[in-house]
Amino acid sequence: MTEHASNSSNSDQFAAMETDLSPSYNQGLTPLHPPQKSLIRVNMILRALFLLVLASVAETLLYMHHEVQPGMVLIPATFFAILQVFVLPHRIYRRWGYDMGDEQLRVLRGFLWQTDTIVPFNRIQHIDVAQGPLQRMFGLSTLIVHTAGTHNSIVTLPGLATADAEDMRETIKGHIRQDMI
Amino acid sequence: MNDEVTTALDRDAAPFRRLHPLSIILKSLSMLGRNIVAIFVLHFSLFDQNFFYTGLAALALISLVVGVTALIWSRFTYQVTEREIRIKSGLLNRNNRSIPFDRIQDVSLEQKLISRLLGLTTVALETGSGGGEDGQLDALSRADAEQLRDTIRDYKAGLRAAATPAENHQSATDTPPLFAMNNRRILIAGLFNFSFVLLALLGALAQNLDFLLPDGFFDPRSWIDAFPEQDTINAFGSWARIGGALAAILSLVLIGFVSGIVRTFVREYGFRLDRTDSGQPGFRRRRGLFTLTDMVMPIHRVQAAILQTGPVRQRFGWYHLKFTSLASDASGETDHSAAPCASLAEIEPILEECAIRPAPADLVFQGVNPAFWWRGTIMVSLLLTAIALGTGLFVHAGLFGIILLAVPVGLIKYLNWRHHQYALTDSQLYVRSGWWRRISTTLPLRKIQTVDVSQRPLDHPLDLATVTIGIAGGSSIRPLKIEAIQFAKAMDLRSQLISRTASSPTAG
Repeated sequence: MTEHASNSSNSDQFAAMETDLSPSYNQGLTPLHPPQKSLIRVNMILRALFLLVLASVAETLLYMHHEVQPGMVLIPATFFAILQVFVLPHRIYRRWGYDMGDEQLRVLRGFLWQTDTIVPFNRIQHIDVAQGPLQRMFGLSTLIVHTAGTHNSIVTLPGLATADAEDMRETIKGHIRQDMI
Repeated sequence: MNDEVTTALDRDAAPFRRLHPLSIILKSLSMLGRNIVAIFVLHFSLFDQNFFYTGLAALALISLVVGVTALIWSRFTYQVTEREIRIKSGLLNRNNRSIPFDRIQDVSLEQKLISRLLGLTTVALETGSGGGEDGQLDALSRADAEQLRDTIRDYKAGLRAAATPAENHQSATDTPPLFAMNNRRILIAGLFNFSFVLLALLGALAQNLDFLLPDGFFDPRSWIDAFPEQDTINAFGSWARIGGALAAILSLVLIGFVSGIVRTFVREYGFRLDRTDSGQPGFRRRRGLFTLTDMVMPIHRVQAAILQTGPVRQRFGWYHLKFTSLASDASGETDHSAAPCASLAEIEPILEECAIRPAPADLVFQGVNPAFWWRGTIMVSLLLTAIALGTGLFVHAGLFGIILLAVPVGLIKYLNWRHHQYALTDSQLYVRSGWWRRISTTLPLRKIQTVDVSQRPLDHPLDLATVTIGIAGGSSIRPLKIEAIQFAKAMDLRSQLISRTASSPTAG
């Protein structure tokens, strides 16, 4: 677990190991720390298990009360679960990207619903570095910046190596000024 | 360290004070008002219309409410120190809140009708920490409230005095107001404030008092059953029936107008906007017929100016000027109303006060991609076709006509597209949107917080994008957006916005 954290500062090397990570997917921005893909997969596995349990219950109930073909629910659900676990994590991961500019942070995410946010550093009110139990296992952290804006006042950037996130926090902290509004 | 010492001194120096004792009556009345319906319900149900029992219950309720309110009052204390206000409250869960004067965005004084009769004033302190009032003193005597406001103002003036020589205090009443509305102007504003609120109110009242109405009043079937039996209706000629329908529509419209005028008068009566220079330069707004409000908003808190009008209103040259600011308006509006009904010539000097320039006449506005209207229209038409087919085939053939709804929807979308435009100058962004509710926003670029470029699924094939701009304050449901422009154009616009934001670090 600590291994990732110690290696984290050179996440570029990790990224270079990703052979099929073409810059066209995230406009050539910095990709997230690669263990994030595993984290997405773990989350997807949990969701897929939940889905399969629900599907099994629905299937059993349907089978008991109505004479339906077995597998009417379970087969599509299994198909979707496989999609979730084996296909989606990589696709979600490669659509994320961020860029630490000199004066601004840029966060790109999503494909069908794509959002590309720029926050100037001097507009940031305060910063959080958050880490959940699963994230800790992968040595990942989420950087959360708060602006005074009403729309999109909280910009989150998950999947950073903890050391990177802390570095970014220190960089941004230098730009925070009092009484912006 | 040093700070701690001084605050400790302050804490000893300033006495803890309670709210005005009459506020017990004020609070009790408002609480009783909420429970009076329960008494009525009990009177008619449980007590079987026995006045003695009802009287007893009412007495018990009144003593309970007054007792609890008095207890809450006795546990509510506040303390005004040199640099902050501390509020201690709560019966069981004690809450100790301190609000530094530095963090107070604006102070508003409000007098509801009953408070005015009792000579009380509610003080609301906005810190803009998002959602709800941050500190409310409900209520103080008028003199205490004004003194508190002056204390806060003087504190801020003292801060400024360190940098610039102290300005001489001048009372705002001597100088002419920036903007004021006489009754005629309020009437005009009311005419354009056409609303069906009164109608909705009557409906809600009818629904709550339905024990007075015959059974099945709200059941359409009972009405359909009743109609054929009414020979009187059949006896009228078709012209009379059309006349009746017209009269009904006219009376609805009349109710709409009257309720709009009444609402506007209640809210805007005696509207007056001043510039105050004591303390920080700010706008001071006073208005209200029953509920008097007196609000001061520092000018540097103004984030953007919004000019709202409508197709008819614009023809007459009337606009509603609002300011976006982090602290939300006490009346629940997201933007601070600065001139509810004013001509452009009247608005210009107000904008000048906060260094916002109205759009120059020769400024070229850019339209957005026509997909803005035709894409939405196609989607709605497809949906309507599906509904029309479904209902038309299975319910009634006449329901095929649902598809005709696509025409007005398309028309409105087309008009909205024509009115969605934007323009960028060196220091300001202008965005216009809406055909019926015409909103044009003027945003100084240094007030931009974040900029998003987003694409939804249907944007990808057309390579379109939406630019969303985060401002401090304003509606979170309806942020400032430029919709349906080419992706490359959106990225270009954003880089221009951001570069001008970042190059002017002394915002605020």
